[in-house]
Amino acid sequence: MAKTYDCLFKLLLIGDSGVGKTSILFRFSEDAFNISFISTIGIDFKIRTIDLDGKKVKLQIWDTAGQERFRTITTAYYRGSMGIMLVYDVTNEKSFENIKNWIRNIEENASADVEKMILGNKCDLDSQRQVSKERGEQLAIEYQIKFVETSAKDSLNVEYAFYTLARDIKAKMEKKQKEASNPSGGRSGVHKPTLNDARKPVTWLSRCSVL
Amino acid sequence: MAEMENDVSPIETEQREYVEDGKNKLVVQCKFCGSKILDKKSSNYIAQEKDLPLMQQASNNDREVQNETIKEFYHVENMYTFENIGFTHTVDNHKYLSCADCDAGPVGYHDTNTRHSYVAISRIVHSK
Ligand SMILES: [Zn+2]
Repeated sequence: MAKTYDCLFKLLLIGDSGVGKTSILFRFSEDAFNISFISTIGIDFKIRTIDLDGKKVKLQIWDTAGQERFRTITTAYYRGSMGIMLVYDVTNEKSFENIKNWIRNIEENASADVEKMILGNKCDLDSQRQVSKERGEQLAIEYQIKFVETSAKDSLNVEYAFYTLARDIKAKMEKKQKEASNPSGGRSGVHKPTLNDARKPVTWLSRCSVL
Repeated sequence: MAEMENDVSPIETEQREYVEDGKNKLVVQCKFCGSKILDKKSSNYIAQEKDLPLMQQASNNDREVQNETIKEFYHVENMYTFENIGFTHTVDNHKYLSCADCDAGPVGYHDTNTRHSYVAISRIVHSK
Protein backbone atom coordinates (compact mmCIF):
# COMPACT_ATOMS: atom_id res chain seq x y z
CA MET A 1 0.00 0.00 0.00
CA ALA A 2 1.23 3.47 -0.85
CA LYS A 3 2.61 5.52 1.98
CA THR A 4 0.05 8.11 2.93
CA TYR A 5 2.34 10.48 4.79
CA ASP A 6 5.57 12.35 4.21
CA CYS A 7 7.35 12.06 7.55
CA LEU A 8 7.23 10.03 10.73
CA PHE A 9 8.75 11.50 13.88
CA LYS A 10 9.13 9.60 17.15
CA LEU A 11 8.93 11.92 20.16
CA LEU A 12 9.52 11.28 23.86
CA LEU A 13 8.23 12.99 26.99
CA ILE A 14 10.89 12.96 29.68
CA GLY A 15 11.18 14.40 33.18
CA ASP A 16 10.74 13.62 36.86
CA SER A 17 7.77 11.66 38.09
CA GLY A 18 4.78 13.89 38.85
CA VAL A 19 5.62 16.76 36.50
CA GLY A 20 2.56 15.98 34.39
CA LYS A 21 4.04 14.09 31.46
CA THR A 22 1.07 11.78 31.40
CA SER A 23 -1.44 14.63 31.49
CA ILE A 24 0.26 16.19 28.48
CA LEU A 25 -0.55 12.99 26.63
CA PHE A 26 -3.71 12.01 28.47
CA ARG A 27 -6.49 14.31 29.60
CA PHE A 28 -9.43 12.11 30.42
CA SER A 29 -11.30 13.04 33.54
CA GLU A 30 -13.71 10.56 34.97
CA ASP A 31 -16.85 11.11 36.96
CA ALA A 32 -17.66 9.52 40.29
CA PHE A 33 -19.93 6.83 38.87
CA ASN A 34 -17.90 5.41 36.06
CA ILE A 35 -14.35 4.30 35.64
CA SER A 36 -12.71 4.57 32.29
CA PHE A 37 -11.16 1.28 31.25
CA ILE A 38 -8.52 3.24 29.31
CA SER A 39 -7.35 5.31 32.28
CA THR A 40 -7.03 2.15 34.36
CA ILE A 41 -4.53 0.65 31.91
CA GLY A 42 -2.84 3.87 30.86
CA ILE A 43 -1.62 5.19 27.52
CA ASP A 44 1.68 3.95 26.10
CA PHE A 45 1.86 6.24 23.07
CA LYS A 46 -0.24 8.27 20.69
CA ILE A 47 -0.13 8.82 16.97
CA ARG A 48 -1.04 12.26 15.74
CA THR A 49 -1.12 13.60 12.22
CA ILE A 50 -0.24 17.23 11.65
CA ASP A 51 0.26 19.42 8.62
CA LEU A 52 3.62 21.16 8.44
CA ASP A 53 3.98 23.48 5.46
CA GLY A 54 1.88 21.21 3.27
CA LYS A 55 3.60 18.00 4.41
CA LYS A 56 1.65 15.32 6.21
CA VAL A 57 3.66 14.52 9.33
CA LYS A 58 2.92 11.64 11.69
CA LEU A 59 4.01 12.08 15.29
CA GLN A 60 4.39 9.04 17.50
CA ILE A 61 4.51 10.42 21.03
CA TRP A 62 5.71 8.21 23.91
CA ASP A 63 5.10 8.77 27.58
CA THR A 64 8.00 7.52 29.71
CA ALA A 65 6.06 7.71 32.99
CA GLY A 66 6.87 4.82 35.31
CA GLN A 67 10.42 4.63 33.95
CA GLU A 68 11.73 7.58 35.98
CA ARG A 69 12.40 5.56 39.08
CA PHE A 70 15.35 4.04 37.28
CA ARG A 71 16.62 7.62 37.08
CA THR A 72 17.46 6.98 33.49
CA ILE A 73 15.28 6.07 30.59
CA THR A 74 16.13 2.76 29.03
CA THR A 75 17.90 2.90 25.70
CA ALA A 76 14.94 1.15 24.09
CA TYR A 77 12.93 4.33 24.52
CA TYR A 78 15.65 6.48 23.04
CA ARG A 79 16.15 4.25 20.02
CA GLY A 80 14.97 6.05 16.93
CA SER A 81 13.63 9.06 18.79
CA MET A 82 14.06 12.32 16.95
CA GLY A 83 12.58 14.75 19.44
CA ILE A 84 12.46 14.98 23.22
CA MET A 85 10.23 17.13 25.42
CA LEU A 86 12.00 17.76 28.72
CA VAL A 87 9.26 18.43 31.23
CA TYR A 88 9.49 20.00 34.69
CA ASP A 89 6.84 21.26 37.07
CA VAL A 90 6.98 25.01 37.84
CA THR A 91 5.70 24.26 41.36
CA ASN A 92 8.53 21.80 42.03
CA GLU A 93 12.08 23.20 42.31
CA LYS A 94 13.68 19.74 42.33
CA SER A 95 12.10 18.74 39.02
CA PHE A 96 13.60 21.90 37.50
CA GLU A 97 17.08 21.20 38.85
CA ASN A 98 16.84 17.66 37.50
CA ILE A 99 16.42 18.90 33.92
CA LYS A 100 20.22 19.11 33.76
CA ASN A 101 20.47 15.46 34.76
CA TRP A 102 17.94 14.49 32.15
CA ILE A 103 19.91 16.37 29.51
CA ARG A 104 23.03 14.47 30.53
CA ASN A 105 21.07 11.21 30.32
CA ILE A 106 19.93 12.14 26.81
CA GLU A 107 23.47 13.01 25.74
CA GLU A 108 24.65 9.61 26.92
CA ASN A 109 21.88 7.55 25.40
CA ALA A 110 20.06 9.28 22.58
CA SER A 111 21.18 10.11 19.09
CA ALA A 112 23.49 13.15 19.10
CA ASP A 113 21.27 15.17 16.81
CA VAL A 114 18.00 14.64 18.67
CA GLU A 115 15.95 17.86 18.88
CA LYS A 116 15.04 18.98 22.39
CA MET A 117 12.57 21.38 23.97
CA ILE A 118 12.00 22.32 27.62
CA LEU A 119 8.48 22.56 28.99
CA GLY A 120 7.68 24.25 32.30
CA ASN A 121 4.38 22.53 33.02
CA LYS A 122 1.55 23.40 35.45
CA CYS A 123 1.92 27.15 34.84
CA ASP A 124 -1.78 27.45 35.77
CA LEU A 125 -0.79 26.91 39.43
CA ASP A 126 0.72 30.35 39.81
CA SER A 127 0.22 30.64 43.58
CA GLN A 128 2.36 27.53 44.16
CA ARG A 129 5.07 28.49 41.72
CA GLN A 130 8.67 27.80 42.80
CA VAL A 131 10.41 28.31 39.45
CA SER A 132 10.04 31.65 37.67
CA LYS A 133 9.57 31.80 33.93
CA GLU A 134 12.85 33.76 33.70
CA ARG A 135 14.81 30.88 35.22
CA GLY A 136 13.28 28.49 32.71
CA GLU A 137 14.26 30.81 29.89
CA GLN A 138 17.77 31.16 31.29
CA LEU A 139 18.27 27.40 31.43
CA ALA A 140 17.03 27.09 27.86
CA ILE A 141 19.50 29.73 26.70
CA GLU A 142 22.31 27.95 28.52
CA TYR A 143 21.63 24.73 26.61
CA GLN A 144 20.42 26.44 23.43
CA ILE A 145 17.10 24.65 23.59
CA LYS A 146 13.66 26.14 22.97
CA PHE A 147 11.43 26.71 25.98
CA VAL A 148 7.77 27.28 26.70
CA GLU A 149 5.57 27.18 29.79
CA THR A 150 2.57 24.87 29.45
CA SER A 151 -0.57 23.90 31.25
CA ALA A 152 -1.74 20.43 30.29
CA LYS A 153 -4.83 21.08 32.41
CA ASP A 154 -5.85 24.12 30.37
CA SER A 155 -4.32 22.76 27.13
CA LEU A 156 -2.15 25.88 27.06
CA ASN A 157 0.81 25.77 24.65
CA VAL A 158 0.82 21.97 24.46
CA GLU A 159 -0.10 21.82 20.80
CA TYR A 160 2.24 24.73 20.09
CA ALA A 161 5.10 22.83 21.71
CA PHE A 162 4.58 19.72 19.56
CA TYR A 163 4.33 21.77 16.38
CA THR A 164 7.50 23.67 17.27
CA LEU A 165 9.48 20.52 18.01
CA ALA A 166 8.21 18.81 14.84
CA ARG A 167 9.01 21.87 12.73
CA ASP A 168 12.57 21.97 14.12
CA ILE A 169 13.10 18.27 13.37
CA LYS A 170 11.83 18.75 9.85
CA ALA A 171 14.06 21.79 9.28
CA LYS A 172 17.12 19.94 10.56
CA MET A 173 16.34 16.96 8.38
CA GLU A 174 15.88 19.04 5.26
CA LYS A 175 19.14 20.82 5.94
CA LYS A 176 20.94 17.48 6.26
CA GLN A 177 19.43 16.14 3.08
CA LYS A 178 20.46 19.26 1.24
CA GLU A 179 24.01 18.88 2.55
CA ALA A 180 24.05 15.21 1.59
CA SER A 181 22.95 15.90 -1.96
CA ASN A 182 25.27 18.86 -2.28
CA PRO A 183 28.56 17.91 -0.63
CA SER A 184 30.43 20.90 -2.02
CA GLY A 185 29.59 22.79 1.12
CA GLY A 186 33.26 23.31 1.89
CA ARG A 187 33.35 21.23 5.03
CA SER A 188 36.45 19.26 4.11
CA GLY A 189 38.43 17.89 6.99
CA VAL A 190 35.52 17.97 9.38
CA HIS A 191 34.48 14.49 10.38
CA LYS A 192 30.79 14.51 11.00
CA PRO A 193 29.25 12.20 13.57
CA THR A 194 26.92 10.82 10.90
CA LEU A 195 29.70 8.41 9.96
CA ASN A 196 29.17 6.59 13.22
CA ASP A 197 25.44 6.67 12.82
CA ALA A 198 25.75 4.75 9.59
CA ARG A 199 26.31 1.58 11.60
CA LYS A 200 22.84 1.77 13.03
CA PRO A 201 20.40 -0.33 11.01
CA VAL A 202 17.93 2.42 10.18
CA THR A 203 18.60 6.05 10.93
CA TRP A 204 15.59 8.28 11.28
CA LEU A 205 16.80 10.25 8.31
CA SER A 206 16.22 7.36 5.97
CA ARG A 207 12.69 6.89 7.21
CA CYS A 208 11.52 10.28 6.16
CA SER A 209 11.39 11.40 2.60
CA VAL A 210 10.96 15.02 1.73
CA LEU A 211 9.73 15.18 -1.80
CA MET B 1 -40.23 -16.92 -1.39
CA ALA B 2 -40.61 -13.36 -0.27
CA GLU B 3 -38.26 -14.12 2.55
CA MET B 4 -35.63 -15.33 0.12
CA GLU B 5 -35.86 -12.20 -1.98
CA ASN B 6 -35.48 -9.96 1.00
CA ASP B 7 -32.51 -11.87 2.28
CA VAL B 8 -30.63 -8.77 3.32
CA SER B 9 -29.90 -8.38 6.99
CA PRO B 10 -30.01 -4.92 8.60
CA ILE B 11 -26.24 -5.13 9.03
CA GLU B 12 -25.74 -5.60 5.28
CA THR B 13 -28.06 -2.73 4.45
CA GLU B 14 -26.13 -0.45 6.76
CA GLN B 15 -22.82 -1.67 5.41
CA ARG B 16 -23.66 -0.35 1.96
CA GLU B 17 -23.72 3.12 3.41
CA TYR B 18 -20.21 3.06 4.77
CA VAL B 19 -18.34 0.25 3.01
CA GLU B 20 -17.21 0.44 -0.61
CA ASP B 21 -14.93 -2.09 -2.30
CA GLY B 22 -14.33 -3.61 1.12
CA LYS B 23 -12.98 -0.35 2.52
CA ASN B 24 -14.34 2.40 4.73
CA LYS B 25 -16.08 4.75 2.33
CA LEU B 26 -16.17 7.60 4.84
CA VAL B 27 -13.90 9.31 7.35
CA VAL B 28 -13.88 7.59 10.76
CA GLN B 29 -14.25 9.87 13.77
CA CYS B 30 -14.56 9.72 17.55
CA LYS B 31 -18.19 9.56 18.69
CA PHE B 32 -17.59 12.02 21.47
CA CYS B 33 -15.31 14.74 20.19
CA GLY B 34 -15.14 14.20 16.42
CA SER B 35 -11.37 13.65 16.36
CA LYS B 36 -10.34 12.14 13.03
CA ILE B 37 -9.26 8.52 13.51
CA LEU B 38 -9.02 7.18 9.94
CA ASP B 39 -9.04 8.79 6.55
CA LYS B 40 -11.55 7.44 4.03
CA LYS B 41 -10.58 4.24 2.17
CA SER B 42 -7.66 3.57 4.49
CA SER B 43 -8.86 0.36 6.16
CA ASN B 44 -10.62 -2.90 5.30
CA TYR B 45 -14.03 -3.95 6.55
CA ILE B 46 -13.94 -7.22 8.47
CA ALA B 47 -16.73 -9.19 10.14
CA GLN B 48 -15.44 -11.04 13.21
CA GLU B 49 -16.64 -11.52 16.75
CA LYS B 50 -14.51 -10.10 19.48
CA ASP B 51 -15.17 -9.10 23.07
CA LEU B 52 -14.17 -5.58 24.00
CA PRO B 53 -14.37 -3.96 27.43
CA LEU B 54 -17.18 -1.41 27.77
CA MET B 55 -16.14 2.22 27.43
CA GLN B 56 -17.61 2.97 30.85
CA GLN B 57 -17.12 0.43 33.60
CA ALA B 58 -19.49 0.68 36.54
CA SER B 59 -17.39 1.63 39.55
CA ASN B 60 -19.39 -0.49 41.99
CA ASN B 61 -18.27 -3.60 40.17
CA ASP B 62 -14.94 -4.57 41.68
CA ARG B 63 -12.28 -5.75 39.31
CA GLU B 64 -14.47 -7.71 36.92
CA VAL B 65 -14.18 -6.13 33.47
CA GLN B 66 -17.52 -5.80 31.71
CA ASN B 67 -17.34 -6.74 28.04
CA GLU B 68 -19.56 -6.62 25.00
CA THR B 69 -19.24 -8.59 21.77
CA ILE B 70 -18.44 -6.52 18.70
CA LYS B 71 -19.08 -8.01 15.27
CA GLU B 72 -17.79 -5.47 12.76
CA PHE B 73 -14.37 -3.87 12.55
CA TYR B 74 -12.09 -1.87 10.33
CA HIS B 75 -8.80 -3.69 9.90
CA VAL B 76 -5.68 -1.51 9.87
CA GLU B 77 -2.43 -3.30 9.01
CA ASN B 78 0.03 -0.47 9.63
CA MET B 79 -0.46 1.64 12.75
CA TYR B 80 0.83 4.73 10.97
CA THR B 81 -2.27 4.61 8.80
CA PHE B 82 -4.15 6.14 11.74
CA GLU B 83 -4.67 9.88 11.68
CA ASN B 84 -5.03 10.25 15.45
CA ILE B 85 -5.18 7.40 17.95
CA GLY B 86 -3.94 6.35 21.39
CA PHE B 87 -2.44 2.94 22.28
CA THR B 88 -2.70 1.67 25.84
CA HIS B 89 -0.07 -0.38 27.61
CA THR B 90 -0.12 -4.06 26.67
CA VAL B 91 -2.51 -6.49 28.37
CA ASP B 92 -2.32 -10.15 27.23
CA ASN B 93 -0.92 -9.45 23.75
CA HIS B 94 -3.37 -6.60 23.23
CA LYS B 95 -3.17 -2.89 23.29
CA TYR B 96 -6.46 -1.05 23.33
CA LEU B 97 -7.16 1.89 21.05
CA SER B 98 -8.46 5.19 22.37
CA CYS B 99 -9.32 8.59 20.97
CA ALA B 100 -6.16 10.72 20.81
CA ASP B 101 -8.08 13.86 21.76
CA CYS B 102 -10.60 12.92 24.45
CA ASP B 103 -9.17 9.49 25.42
CA ALA B 104 -12.53 7.73 25.04
CA GLY B 105 -12.18 4.03 24.46
CA PRO B 106 -11.59 1.23 23.78
CA VAL B 107 -12.54 2.11 20.21
CA GLY B 108 -10.75 -1.05 19.14
CA TYR B 109 -7.67 -3.13 19.80
CA HIS B 110 -4.17 -3.84 18.53
CA ASP B 111 -2.72 -7.34 18.36
CA THR B 112 0.93 -7.13 19.45
CA ASN B 113 1.76 -10.43 17.69
CA THR B 114 0.54 -9.51 14.23
CA ARG B 115 0.84 -5.75 14.86
CA HIS B 116 -2.51 -5.27 13.17
CA SER B 117 -5.21 -3.00 14.60
CA TYR B 118 -8.99 -3.30 14.58
CA VAL B 119 -11.45 -0.42 15.02
CA ALA B 120 -14.91 -1.33 16.36
CA ILE B 121 -17.42 0.15 13.92
CA SER B 122 -20.15 0.43 16.55
CA ARG B 123 -17.88 2.68 18.64
CA ILE B 124 -17.07 5.32 16.04
CA VAL B 125 -19.02 7.62 13.71
CA HIS B 126 -18.64 8.20 9.99
CA SER B 127 -18.47 11.56 8.27
CA LYS B 128 -17.72 13.00 4.85
ZN1 LIG C 1 -12.62 11.82 21.17
